[in-house]
Amino acid sequence: MLIRPGLSALLLVTAIAPVRGQAPGIPIAIERRFAETAHLRVGDTLRVSSAAMPVPQLAHVAAIYDPKADPATVMRRDFHVRLHLGDLGRLLDQPDRVDRIGIVLRPGVDADSAAARLNRTAFGYDIFPSRVIAAQSSTTFVVVSRFHRAIAIISILASTVFLLCLMLLKVEERRRDVAVLRFTGISRRTVFVALVIEAAVIATAGSAIGVGLAALASSAVNAYYQHAFDTALIFSEFASGTVLFAVALSVVLGVVAGALAAWRMVRLDPVELWGRAA
Amino acid sequence: MTWQWAVRDLMRHRTRTALSLLGVAIATALLFDMVLLSGGIERSFGQLLLSRGFQLRVSPRGTLPFDTEATMDSVTQLVAALRREPGVAQVGAVLGTSAFAIRAGRLTPLVVYGVTPEAQGIYQLDRGADLSATDTAGVLVGAPAAVRLRIGIGDTIRLAGRLDPRIATAATERRVTVRGTVRFVYDAKDQPSIAVALPLAQRLTGKDGKNRASFLMVRVADGVATDSVTARLRISHPATSINSIADMMAQFRLRLSYFRQLSLILGSIALIVTVLLVGTLLAIAVNERIGEIAALRAIGVSRLTVLRQIVLEGMLLTIVGGILGVLLGAATAKWLDSILTSFPGLPAAISFFVADAGQLTFAGITLLLTGLLAGVFPAWRAASTPIAATLRSDAP
Repeated sequence: MLIRPGLSALLLVTAIAPVRGQAPGIPIAIERRFAETAHLRVGDTLRVSSAAMPVPQLAHVAAIYDPKADPATVMRRDFHVRLHLGDLGRLLDQPDRVDRIGIVLRPGVDADSAAARLNRTAFGYDIFPSRVIAAQSSTTFVVVSRFHRAIAIISILASTVFLLCLMLLKVEERRRDVAVLRFTGISRRTVFVALVIEAAVIATAGSAIGVGLAALASSAVNAYYQHAFDTALIFSEFASGTVLFAVALSVVLGVVAGALAAWRMVRLDPVELWGRAA
Repeated sequence: MTWQWAVRDLMRHRTRTALSLLGVAIATALLFDMVLLSGGIERSFGQLLLSRGFQLRVSPRGTLPFDTEATMDSVTQLVAALRREPGVAQVGAVLGTSAFAIRAGRLTPLVVYGVTPEAQGIYQLDRGADLSATDTAGVLVGAPAAVRLRIGIGDTIRLAGRLDPRIATAATERRVTVRGTVRFVYDAKDQPSIAVALPLAQRLTGKDGKNRASFLMVRVADGVATDSVTARLRISHPATSINSIADMMAQFRLRLSYFRQLSLILGSIALIVTVLLVGTLLAIAVNERIGEIAALRAIGVSRLTVLRQIVLEGMLLTIVGGILGVLLGAATAKWLDSILTSFPGLPAAISFFVADAGQLTFAGITLLLTGLLAGVFPAWRAASTPIAATLRSDAP
């Protein structure tokens, strides 16, 4: 079993005149965004203080790191730095105290049963398997995902009605053509099939254009948010499953709407059709 | 030609008109919801912050209240100094921490607020008596904590702070009596919270030595401009962050910019859908009636009358669809709000979809203009129909 303690705190970090070539004070690793904003480089000297230890302590930039892209912190604009646990404990006047402890289990040991066993003797703390923590910490994204799904349902509903309406109009526009075809002896079935094929072609072509527009929009969304939040996170995923679903839905809806409108039209007498068209 | 004529024209093709109305209604519902969402949470948050009448929050420098676990020390002196400032009517300190209730040998984790009862803005008393400034043996409990601990007014509980896992004991333990039940204004749903006098909370957390608090709430005197007090306090207390409601809302706005941008994009899409739908319907209707329109023009009906008639049809579709859309949008807003308010840790009193008369009026006018815009091109085509050629080609 490997144990990794962790502690986080609010620190006041002040960059002072660089003293390159030397390494005074405690080592500190700073995130790239902070380094860029404060124009810091490895070896620069800083003053670090906390509410518990208001007298600043000298530190030097030992490393600059790029934090792992994390959706949970992407909206936060504060900067992160990393210190050795002992240094941070002293700076906070809280030696030998931690926020949490990470435990690496031996291969083959079940995390749930290990957590249950440790919880039986725990006093004032709880042991959670990583899976549970992951589920708890991703609740925000589950909510966002549910919201997106709800918006998607409304959008699909709006698109469906829009598509039905367009197809109905498109077919009804052919009223006079259909009347002429029927007058010339073309069967109801042939006219119906022709109108459905036309609807299918329009729906497929429209879907293809829609997929192209969606790809552009997705790229624009990613470019904008990745730049705005200085992160490599993917904000809009152009997933093949989603594309297939959208195309299938629009083609099916287009064909169904076209078929309904065509059926309404071909069952009418050609004379009546011509009369309505006039 | 009048609105009645427009109604009659639209009623010629009931199915397509019904579908168009449904399309406009759904697009309007989406627009309505996005208008509510665009600034709803900010308005709701602002109302919540002001609900107890405190206009300013004083927090450790560089932080917002409860944004970090940072605390300020020597708060008694800080509170006294702030109370002496001109324009300040009331100052109260809050220490947020965690502790455990011990009942029947079981430890129940609780959120503990240490407050100065005479100037607190985080809870509203429901039943029983409030705490007094010197009452370090009393506790106020919120409904979730009362249910979890199965306690009521007059009951006694043991509070334990700073547990030491090595020797399995609490460094501090106090027996307190429930004085009343309260509703915590900023609590998330089902958050088990209690309030005690500030000195007791400090003792429970071991922060009594340096007299610490998480933040202070400041009420500005009636008739005094909050901005001027904020500016003065920033100069006189540079070691702290003086946050006005506007400052906190600006921070909040920054963190929730996603919802504002999403609402702008989806609202724009809703308007585009409306233009396309109404425009297509009118364009096809004009195509179908081109002979009829040419005949009207031939018997002396003016271009302007024809143009107005087609635009009226577009407006009628938009208005009726819009009214249906607002009703539909009100229902979907409730549904979407129930999803978003399930964010973990969000105050239960927060709502994402809050109406603002100004924004709704603007959206309504934009929708009407959209309907107008959608009708302009088909109307122009109808009005500019060459009479003789159309009558000749349209003749059976």
